[in-house]
Amino acid sequence: MSAHPTDVTGSLVDRSLPPAPGKVDSFGFPTVHSSVLANGLALRVACLPRLPLVAVALVLPAGESMLGDAHAGHAILAGDALEGGTSARTGSDLADALEGLGAALRVSVGWDATTVSLTSLADRWEKALALLTEVVLQPAFPHDEVVRVREQQLARLRQRAMDPVSLANDRSAELLHAPGVPYGRPARGTLASVRRFDPTAARTLASAHYRPRGAGLVVAGDVDPDWVTRVSANALAQWEGAPAAGRHFEVHPRFHEATVHVIDRPESVQSEIRVGHTGVSMGHPDYHALVVVNSVLGGAFTSRLNLSLRERHGFTYGVRTGFAFRRRAGPFSTSTAVATDVTAPAVREIVAELTQMAEAGPTEEEMEATRDYLAGVFPLQLETTGQVAARVAELIVYDLPDDHYRRYRDRVRSVSRDAAAAAARRHIRPAQLTVVVVGAADQVVGPLEALGIGPVAVHRRPPGEPAPGAPR
Amino acid sequence: MSNAAGDGPHPMLRVPWELHELPNGLRVVLSSDASAGVVGVNLWYGVGSRNERPGRTGFAHLFEHMMFQGSANIPKNGHFELVERAGGSLNATTWFDRTNYYQSLPSHQLELALWLESDRMGWLVPALTQETLDNQREVVKNEKRQRYDNQPYGDWDERLHAMVFPPEHPYHHAVIGSMEDLDAATIDDVVEFFRTYYVPSNAVLSIAGNLVAEHALDAAARWFGEIPRGGPIPPLPGCPELPPRIGETVRDEVRARVPLPRTLIACRIPTIHDPQFHAIEVAGAVLGTGRGARLYRALVRQRRLAKDVVAYVYPLTTGASMLVVWATGYPGTDCTELEAALVQQLEGLTSVTDREVERAIALTDTRFVRLLEQVSERADMLSMFTLMFDDPDRVNREMDYIRRVTATDLRTVAQEWLGPDNRAVLAYTPDS
Repeated sequence: MSAHPTDVTGSLVDRSLPPAPGKVDSFGFPTVHSSVLANGLALRVACLPRLPLVAVALVLPAGESMLGDAHAGHAILAGDALEGGTSARTGSDLADALEGLGAALRVSVGWDATTVSLTSLADRWEKALALLTEVVLQPAFPHDEVVRVREQQLARLRQRAMDPVSLANDRSAELLHAPGVPYGRPARGTLASVRRFDPTAARTLASAHYRPRGAGLVVAGDVDPDWVTRVSANALAQWEGAPAAGRHFEVHPRFHEATVHVIDRPESVQSEIRVGHTGVSMGHPDYHALVVVNSVLGGAFTSRLNLSLRERHGFTYGVRTGFAFRRRAGPFSTSTAVATDVTAPAVREIVAELTQMAEAGPTEEEMEATRDYLAGVFPLQLETTGQVAARVAELIVYDLPDDHYRRYRDRVRSVSRDAAAAAARRHIRPAQLTVVVVGAADQVVGPLEALGIGPVAVHRRPPGEPAPGAPR
Repeated sequence: MSNAAGDGPHPMLRVPWELHELPNGLRVVLSSDASAGVVGVNLWYGVGSRNERPGRTGFAHLFEHMMFQGSANIPKNGHFELVERAGGSLNATTWFDRTNYYQSLPSHQLELALWLESDRMGWLVPALTQETLDNQREVVKNEKRQRYDNQPYGDWDERLHAMVFPPEHPYHHAVIGSMEDLDAATIDDVVEFFRTYYVPSNAVLSIAGNLVAEHALDAAARWFGEIPRGGPIPPLPGCPELPPRIGETVRDEVRARVPLPRTLIACRIPTIHDPQFHAIEVAGAVLGTGRGARLYRALVRQRRLAKDVVAYVYPLTTGASMLVVWATGYPGTDCTELEAALVQQLEGLTSVTDREVERAIALTDTRFVRLLEQVSERADMLSMFTLMFDDPDRVNREMDYIRRVTATDLRTVAQEWLGPDNRAVLAYTPDS
């Protein structure tokens, strides 16, 4: 290229090497004050005086995995229906009261818990807490509102069946798990189970699972812990009882050998790909080693898979791997979307990278880089009161020791290469991968069969019909 | 409304800043906050899809990808590798008016970010290769497929812009551009674009978080100071001037593979530099933010006509901007019924109450303070207000402007900007 007046040719500073870092600032997870109220509710207060904000999260033992298949999706629906109002005010009045304080209520429901949360300016948090308490302790579940959230959910299921990302996630979960494992259900329930939701179902669920024993209240922000304890004890004094026993289940895979499944979506210009198998639980002793392994493999931009599929081959906009650490063993999964004509080459690369990691583990250099990344990025994920409250809530949901996050960086830094390689060998199993491709079957099936990973099944059923059998 | 902090203004609600200009025209904004353990380094370049010439739509975004493909002293992906290694996170986005690059790092790694950002601002050209261009072209095409082409309703943004802004206006085409134009891009285009727009005088560098201002300024001057200023920025292609309103109700009715009917309405509105813009933002929140918003209350809760509703105000700068509302129906809902319901809410803003305005402002207030929690957001806002308003202190006055908006202002806004002479209607009907 020819020289140009705005091009710089030389430089007065030495640019050839990264500048030396400055003095390291210490970082500690905020101090968490723990106590238990008389009714059994766990209270956790984190003091963050930086800005006049308070995040409040009430964690309830009402996760989707606790429900039988007939009630799949009902914890989510009950959570949605909480906005329908309380014994003291209608849904619209409730929204006005909360939002008039500048506090938007958020209800999130996962496999293990229901979390009702909000963030408000510090001078209004007590009023906001009183409203949040009213929502959870005195839900009205009026007929019209329950029917509305049910109809919304049914419409959403219809959307998910046409959206390639949701379709891939739901079908992959189904194909990874043996029938009867809750994690194999579509995250939001089935058409049949959602249709069963009515005011009685909502009240039964709330009465069985919205209970203080096994629940926790997290308050993070510009607050005094003693004052929080007094206010909370007062606000929640009338709340009593223990939740219904959680459903017991074990996680088993659907298939014991590698299989390939194509979910036909003829209009696709791209294939959504999921590759994985059943994984491990949050409390597993290999947790920290797997966090490191995953980061090397596909948890960051410069992970092996992204550098290969995106930066070397240009197959995709991005690829990620992840272990879903839940109370029981959640899945390990690789997710990406690639152009239709490179579907099989992309799957081949993914399987090759997973196999390489399972056989040889990370290199010493990767270990060093990843330990630095994970330890350094941790404080960035704890900048806001909401982020801190969410992390503290996880301590309750997963029964983690109070010092879990305080020790996290040291535990990650102390993972040895051998420990990481051993964890990779144990928990990444190339011979048992389930490959799910949502895309144009007529273009991808042949090349996928030619890879020889395992039998290729084509699924053409419309949504809502019975699950398919084993692949052909 | 009471002050956000109660009895007296909380000291942290004022974002401290100092603005410096290096001899080469690079504006440097520093904002120190000793309570943060991290530092945000943010660059806004005054270039986006509005600067693209015909036949090169999508180029500003493709160029953004090339900024991660290495420079004279940084190998391909070195930027990502070194920042992640340092325990940082990073990314970049391209929009109509600007392109931003940002990273958050542990504060002792500030100089690393300055080295990386300055190397690509000054020495990108020596590292450009046909191979990396071809690779990133494929990545961007896959981004387009993933986020637009393979998604139900994925072309809504493109269709609305095409109706709200005339063909000769720089906002007529979507940021992602077209596959054909991406295919046409050459290395020469990359070099020319770089030399024209990626120059110190067309950029703002903001650093926020745990820093010592004197040291940070010294470091910024050391790493960026020797990069030549660059020439004047060429005028925008096409015709940025346009009538204040669309002039009629224009329509685009689409039968497509979508799961549910959806109707969108967009109105042409004044730009972010117009004094009315804050009232329009509040109008957007009255209509669409939270469960107490008008669209949710009427269409979702009371009439059960819509499954979901959205209202959004685009913060654009050139000639005009855009307000968008939409409603997704249930199976069998008629798009014209959704349109009538949305229109009723747009026109109904003439009856807005003080309490509704207070609710919208209270939600905006909390959201704004929550943004300030993150150094990356502080740095981003400082870059924006400096590049777009030449005034970093806007960050401290923005909420005051919002708090001053009244129900009367909203009635005026509804009458002037949301009427039938200024609407683009886009309706998606499922084809099966």
